[in-house]
Amino acid sequence: MPKKYSILLILLLCAALGTTAFFLVPSTTDKATINPPATVYNHGEETSSVEKPCLNEHPEWRAAQVIDGVTVDVSGLCEPDNPFDVAVAVKGTNNVSMATLMQTHFAQDALTMSNDTDGDGDPDEIHIKLEVVELNGSSPDDNFLINTFDVAPGIQPALWVFAPKSSGMALKNFNSKAANPLLRAPSPVIRVEQGDKVYITLENTHYLPHTIHLHGVDHPWMTAEGQDNDGMEEHAVFPGKQHTYQIQPRHTGTMLYHCHVQTAQHLGMGMGGMFIVEENRPNNWVQTFNIGAGQVRHPAVAVKETYSQEYDLHYQSVDKKLASIVQTANDPRLIAERMTRQYNMTESFENYFLLNGHAFPYTLRDSTIIADENEHIKLHVANLQRSSVALHTHGHKATAVAFDGVEAPAGLLMTRDVFDIAPAQRIDLHLETKNDGLHSYGAGVWMFHDHVPMGASTDGIEPGGNIALIAYKSLVDEQGMPKGHIEMVDQVFSKDYYAKKQAVWGGNKEFSPLLGDAGLLAPNYGRIIGFGLAIGLLVGLLLLVLRLMQRKSS
Amino acid sequence: MKLIILLLLSSLFAPAYAAMDHSRMMMNEKGMVMNANPDELPRDCTKISENVDITIRAGHKHALKFTGKMFAFDQQEWNVKPCAKINITFINDDQIRHQIMVHGLPGYLYPDGMVHLELYGEGQLQASFIVPSQKKTYLVHCELAQHAEKGMKAQLKVDGGDGDLPSIPGISAAVNADSYTVDWTSNTWAALVFCVLLGFAIPMVIIMNIASIKEAVVKMWGLYGHIGRSKLD
Repeated sequence: MPKKYSILLILLLCAALGTTAFFLVPSTTDKATINPPATVYNHGEETSSVEKPCLNEHPEWRAAQVIDGVTVDVSGLCEPDNPFDVAVAVKGTNNVSMATLMQTHFAQDALTMSNDTDGDGDPDEIHIKLEVVELNGSSPDDNFLINTFDVAPGIQPALWVFAPKSSGMALKNFNSKAANPLLRAPSPVIRVEQGDKVYITLENTHYLPHTIHLHGVDHPWMTAEGQDNDGMEEHAVFPGKQHTYQIQPRHTGTMLYHCHVQTAQHLGMGMGGMFIVEENRPNNWVQTFNIGAGQVRHPAVAVKETYSQEYDLHYQSVDKKLASIVQTANDPRLIAERMTRQYNMTESFENYFLLNGHAFPYTLRDSTIIADENEHIKLHVANLQRSSVALHTHGHKATAVAFDGVEAPAGLLMTRDVFDIAPAQRIDLHLETKNDGLHSYGAGVWMFHDHVPMGASTDGIEPGGNIALIAYKSLVDEQGMPKGHIEMVDQVFSKDYYAKKQAVWGGNKEFSPLLGDAGLLAPNYGRIIGFGLAIGLLVGLLLLVLRLMQRKSS
Repeated sequence: MKLIILLLLSSLFAPAYAAMDHSRMMMNEKGMVMNANPDELPRDCTKISENVDITIRAGHKHALKFTGKMFAFDQQEWNVKPCAKINITFINDDQIRHQIMVHGLPGYLYPDGMVHLELYGEGQLQASFIVPSQKKTYLVHCELAQHAEKGMKAQLKVDGGDGDLPSIPGISAAVNADSYTVDWTSNTWAALVFCVLLGFAIPMVIIMNIASIKEAVVKMWGLYGHIGRSKLD
């Protein structure tokens, strides 16, 4: 009898303990009391993740210069184009000195220019060779990426690009995993002269099939030999093979070229570039490649008649999930299956938004438009991303002078501050820096960016994406970086910032205590001890009851 | 075909190399060779031990004999004696660029420690170099983006080499190996279930026959005891 009561008593105790435990359950989040947790400071100035805004690797490349008889315009940028690349792109690998070629990574047969058939002082037969390069690719040798190209601090999505045929090391040097500077996003801008006989050879150095489709460029459907000339999927160029596309464009304008194999994916991986046909003029040696797009340091003759400067603006976006597929395996069969069948492109998102291969703040290094007052600047804008671009210029209203390579009639010249550009569309803009309250509001470091709001973000982190600057010379330092705004620049040139480890306003001295990260709440040990003891006792007592009941029955 | 032989390319190489007359480079529209060395002996060699002629073919078709590769050489390993002179004939069977880069050679003879052969397309190229006497395995690969990663990788062993490099097709596994789905069929499940049942049965049999096992053990113990005792006697 007393045993029976003791069991009952224990069970009652258990119920009480259970109730206690229920009310004492500790949680991972809890309400603050009078004083919420203190602010913690985690901005990157204290860590090694902060980079110098301008690495200033080649200050000697900025000056205006003449190389092998090619005039290369001044470039005030932090990362100016290699002037030797420009010289080779203008004269061809066959017409420059070996010393010049050695200052670049071009293969000796990358660009041959010959035959002045119309006798106007420039070559009319152009042979262009393109390879396919994977940036930020995987390696079976360990857990690292190889041929890296950072689109923003610490951001390395796998990218596929067309690249001029190169020679030597694909890496920058023996101590680096970074790609050499010729291998970068975006695929290079290609420029030819109207009426030139152009032979574009795709040498597929990649491990998946690709093509070149000359979007909007006047080209016959078949080559002279009766082979594919439209770059369609069924005529894919497989790994290790090559194919030559032949064109003689009659019409000028800003066009595109892109891979047309598994197009949604391959275009999304970066396999598209601008193809610009310049007006035929005497002595018109055009800059065949504009590596990394941006400023054209050797504008064509017709452009110089109207404009003081010329820029190519290539907008593209990256789906980080799609891009990461090639970083998950090295077996081409696994990559092909995961890309073409396991991944569903209709469920794709855009995470990184790039202008000329970089997201802000790297756009500050090589995509700033540095202008004087009263300049006429030509902008070729191409939208190679998946969604529309609503290009907005702060402080300026530019005029669209051509759409998809077709000149706008006088009555349709639109002067606006937002230009709507559908995927694959191109517009040519005339940016006038006349301080008249319409074309320009005066000197400044004015932003220009996609006004579809996420276009200005990098995987959701702002400021990022395709933000770039129209900066007036008086407000730019000798390294091409904007004067002032130093606090902001220090904050964003940081891997931690884009890894989402830093409070956005954590760098503001006055407001960092108010808008820095809230710290963690101290654990409520009273509660944790109470709960632990209650649960422990409960389990112990229940076992005791079982034991007692067993004994009773026996 | 015009060959341009550029000795002492001070514009290309760092000044440290400019002082040496080994930084040889041959380049034309078909391809290039860097740091070929047909006659200069490494410091630790008194003479050339043997002349080895090696023909290396490169191309996607050589990857067919492996699984999960796209580009490969036709061979993946070469063995030579210390101080051997190696005469490479490099044949490119593809319509794209391929390279042979040999890494880890002494920098005083080979700037950046490498010999580099490159063909811009289909064709053939020759170059010689002399290896030191050290017992060592040298990396041989094509350095184009993703070519070594996708199979175009081999090794040169001097004096038997000092081990295998990773992810050489057919020779060594990758450090960062790919994962594949396992072929689970009904037979695989049957094997698993059978083993579970077997594992379960073993203690059951023991428990059920505990008495006879005890008897047997006692018997054996007694036997041992007996032997022990007889030994003691």
